[in-house]
Amino acid sequence: MLECRNIHKHYGGVVALKGVSWKLLPGEVHALCGENGAGKSTLARILCGITARDEGAILLEGRPVVWSGPVAARQAGLGIILQELDLFAHLSIAENLAIGNARLEASAWVSPTALNDAARPLLHDVGLELDPASPLGSLSVSQWQLVAIARVLGLDAKIIFMDEPTSALTDDAVERLFGLIRRLKARGVAIAYVSHKMNEIFRICDRISVMRDGEMINTATCAETSIDQVIQQMVGRAVTTTRGEKILATGRALLEARQVSTRKLRDVSFTLARGEILGVAGLVGSGRSEVGRALFGLSPVTDGKITLETSDYAPRSPHDAVARGVALVPEDRQREGLIPGMSIRQNATLASLSKYSRASWIDRGQEAAASREALANCRTKFADQELPVRSLSGGNQQKVLIGKWLLTHPKVCFFDDPTRGIDIGAKDDIYRLVAELAGKGLGVIWVSSELPELLANAHRILVLYEGRCLGILDALSATQEDIMRLATGHRNSLS
Amino acid sequence: MTGNLWKYLKHHGQPFIGLLLILILGTILSPRATDGSIVFLSLGNLTDVLLQQTEIGIIALAMTFVIIGAGIDLSVGSVLALSAAVSALMLMVWNPHGPAVLQIGLAIGASVLAGALIGGLNGLVITRIRLQPFVMTLATMIGVRGFTKWLTGNVNVDLGFGDVPSGQFAELFSSKSFAITIWIVFAVIAHLILSRTVYGRYLRAIGENERAAAYTGLPVRGVRLATYIGCGALAAFAGLIHAARSHQGNPNDGVGYELDAIAAVVIGGTALAGGRGSIIGTVTGTLVLGLLTNVLRLHMVDSNLELMIKAVIIIVAVWLQRRSSGAHGEL
Amino acid sequence: MNFKSWRRLLLILVGAGWVTGCTSESSPYKYTVVFSQCNNAEPYRAAQNAAMKKLWGEQPDVRLVVMDAQQDSVRQIAEIETAIRMKPQLIIVAPNERAPLTEVMKRATEAHIAVICLERDIVEPDYTSWIRVDNRAIGRMIGQFVVDALTKKYGEPKGNIVEIAGLKGVEAETNRKLGAHDVWDKYPNIKVVTESVANWSQSLAKDRMTEILSAVSQIDVVFGRSDPMAIGAYLAARERGREKEMIFVGIDGLSGKAGGINQVREGLLAATCVYPLCVDKAVEVGTKILHDPAFVPEKQYTISSRLITPETATESP
Repeated sequence: MLECRNIHKHYGGVVALKGVSWKLLPGEVHALCGENGAGKSTLARILCGITARDEGAILLEGRPVVWSGPVAARQAGLGIILQELDLFAHLSIAENLAIGNARLEASAWVSPTALNDAARPLLHDVGLELDPASPLGSLSVSQWQLVAIARVLGLDAKIIFMDEPTSALTDDAVERLFGLIRRLKARGVAIAYVSHKMNEIFRICDRISVMRDGEMINTATCAETSIDQVIQQMVGRAVTTTRGEKILATGRALLEARQVSTRKLRDVSFTLARGEILGVAGLVGSGRSEVGRALFGLSPVTDGKITLETSDYAPRSPHDAVARGVALVPEDRQREGLIPGMSIRQNATLASLSKYSRASWIDRGQEAAASREALANCRTKFADQELPVRSLSGGNQQKVLIGKWLLTHPKVCFFDDPTRGIDIGAKDDIYRLVAELAGKGLGVIWVSSELPELLANAHRILVLYEGRCLGILDALSATQEDIMRLATGHRNSLS
Repeated sequence: MTGNLWKYLKHHGQPFIGLLLILILGTILSPRATDGSIVFLSLGNLTDVLLQQTEIGIIALAMTFVIIGAGIDLSVGSVLALSAAVSALMLMVWNPHGPAVLQIGLAIGASVLAGALIGGLNGLVITRIRLQPFVMTLATMIGVRGFTKWLTGNVNVDLGFGDVPSGQFAELFSSKSFAITIWIVFAVIAHLILSRTVYGRYLRAIGENERAAAYTGLPVRGVRLATYIGCGALAAFAGLIHAARSHQGNPNDGVGYELDAIAAVVIGGTALAGGRGSIIGTVTGTLVLGLLTNVLRLHMVDSNLELMIKAVIIIVAVWLQRRSSGAHGEL
Repeated sequence: MNFKSWRRLLLILVGAGWVTGCTSESSPYKYTVVFSQCNNAEPYRAAQNAAMKKLWGEQPDVRLVVMDAQQDSVRQIAEIETAIRMKPQLIIVAPNERAPLTEVMKRATEAHIAVICLERDIVEPDYTSWIRVDNRAIGRMIGQFVVDALTKKYGEPKGNIVEIAGLKGVEAETNRKLGAHDVWDKYPNIKVVTESVANWSQSLAKDRMTEILSAVSQIDVVFGRSDPMAIGAYLAARERGREKEMIFVGIDGLSGKAGGINQVREGLLAATCVYPLCVDKAVEVGTKILHDPAFVPEKQYTISSRLITPETATESP
């Protein structure tokens, strides 16, 4: 149905795609795998008209096409869900769905109510039971992703590219998505599924194509190949998926939250010991990030008390939190974590700058040395620490962020989904890093949607449901089902 | 070392090229004086241009900081008028009498304080009440202008001549050596603050990504407030030079100076969106504007045509800036 | 644009500039006279410019350069600074205001350039010559006309006067006011109800008069210290339908359809005073300075004026 031949693309001096040829058949779910930087997103964008190719041909139904822009591709029946969600925070959900959609836009002319009505079935399909008139800015990242999926559904596309569609979704949302994919497949829609989540791919896809360093390495059906083989093709070498060693907590209480309530939380209580990794699990909207925001002074605490190292802790801003030794690695790297135009070094030292300065004058030598040390500790890979931080891959950017906080010598560190959108090699590095931090006596709180990740790395797991803490499980003995049960609101007979 | 210089020029070189172009053009197109010398290149003419640009130059230094912090300050022109009026009134009307140094010192102090207070007002409302900088400084621009006119009773307060303190003040502050030296000193200090201090680094971070900066624990409000106070104070200092040069405190002066300052900053390579910019660029931008006006004046170009040409230069400069920022592509 | 295209652009510009520069170099002029006008937008000044160009144009070895400061003192200072660099033999200046322009004129004289102040002066006498008109005498003429008109209206010298003033820092403004008050202050029943500043601008005068009309009920005379301001006040009154209640007097008395003389003839103005352009004298003195290095002009030349009423409204000679 859709085919490309010998596609070449380069950005400046960097080669993104090298002679890529690929075919997508009607009614199939075809996975595109590869590490970050392999070129899968670039290929998807070229095929959907967002980026122009340098060389090569694109054929739709056997006829060569040249896209003048994404609109042309959309009209030809191609839809794409991008990794960087191109939605507008100040518009409502329904308005976001309507953008670029002729049918919905016609409804918009009639009245906002008509638009909301037209939007509701799309939202239902992806499992978002929200008021379509509510502004997008009030939603969490995971909910944004569902809206982006809903938008493509509304376009009645015949070919859909999904770029990491589940990176922010929880397990049951993923299930709904898979159901949706199967329904689309039955209708003859072809889906290109760009991801590096092996379990998902092997569950839902028919064929897998692996890319590495801008080249198409291999295409095979799922039956013919295995996870290990695919990973080997992706990485180019044999890799075993091991988990980091868990270091036992030393036990002294570091942080205590007693019946803490904020706008989104209600009566949440937990303790955090030195050297402990406390995982936080829950569905989209359960308030996982809110815990971090409360600890970091971003969400005002309306009730309850937090104690840090035996004294009261009530931060009114991140400034207060940092002064008390609390750090937050946010969910959204680009918008909340990094200063993209600044260099790696400048980002790394931003939180601890006063340490390398006297009377506000920065000692450049001291700063550079500290930055180098922190980046090395996090095993960050970069060519020159003076390069802008946006030139790094997602995994290395995350390491720079973590390194930034390490330089402040925090006592408590809150990680909000730190391994989202990061390739396998870097994920492993981060697991090891967090374990090291805990080993040094830091208290770590770790939010994640990947339950296996939490079970493998955390000591205990706090499960939230609609702003309430329904239980704190011991990670050694709990199972994914235990967590899921609490996360969906069913109390354990034991807890 | 030369490798670094070349790299620097490639990325930030646009304003320098503009400057070079104007210098070359000016020399070629320059009229000859009656004794045959090239008027444009004469030391007198070039230092004239520097002196004429001192006020805008000083304001542009402060404006660079404001714009890098993703803000804007439209009130600088009115603050300049306020400061000129206050200094004239201090020397001529509210005279405390005493040694000349004291009188002049008090006049300077009062003017700069007035400017800093207006800047503080701007900064407080923008950071606490969260009014947009454009809106707040627009309001201040209008309000301060009205206040200044009321303060002087709508007349121009002339400074004295000769040995009286006001005359001495006028002579000192309008002299080329003093004014130009002050501008250079301020520029050097501004450059050092922007590139070598914690405050400068914080300002850049806040201007580029305020959210991430706040989430890193940076004192966003404090940095912003300090920036606006500094801008008001510097605009007031420019007002002192203005009063000296025009020999009066005119409450109607300074109109449009904010746009000239912003033009200088933008031509110098600072992006209005915040986060990027340099003092060297701003100084270059100021010189480009000043020399351009000089070339046009030497050729008796109609002053209205002058404004149109300035507008074209600004558009070209900004357009070139976008090409050089490459993949980032933002303004 | 990469560096290669920059170099190309540079070369083209340099080449074009060279050609233009070379062609404009052939200068047959022996003398350069710079005229720094404070504000082309005023009709009086536009008439001055026209007269300047005509008279200097009659001398083929003189290059006249006219600059317009658009009523901005700072701009005028910068323009004169530029003029000094051109090393002219003579600079004629109509200063925008007395204090601001003083210092730069001193610099011009220190650079051994002859400086003539046209009609307006500066604070310190740092100029070669000042061509002036006796503004105080003009004020007195207008003042007396007003007293006569009021006496005719009421049988005795009494009434309400509204004054519309020009830029306060200008000698003409000060002296015209003083002259008028020299006459009026003798009569206790003649009251100046209000004085509003309109900076010589007709549109500002109209705005100011509109405000005054709302505030004052009985107005007998409007004294605009220049014709355009008086006309502005007249227009404001006509909009309110009150123009027949009062008389309007101005000063300038330019000829031509839009000039004060015609406006007196048409009945818009009750009287005006011819305010000589001073250009004739300036050119006469200037020419002597150019050609005779030993010539020392008088410090001041005073030119006389005359009152224009409906009876005497003929074109000025």
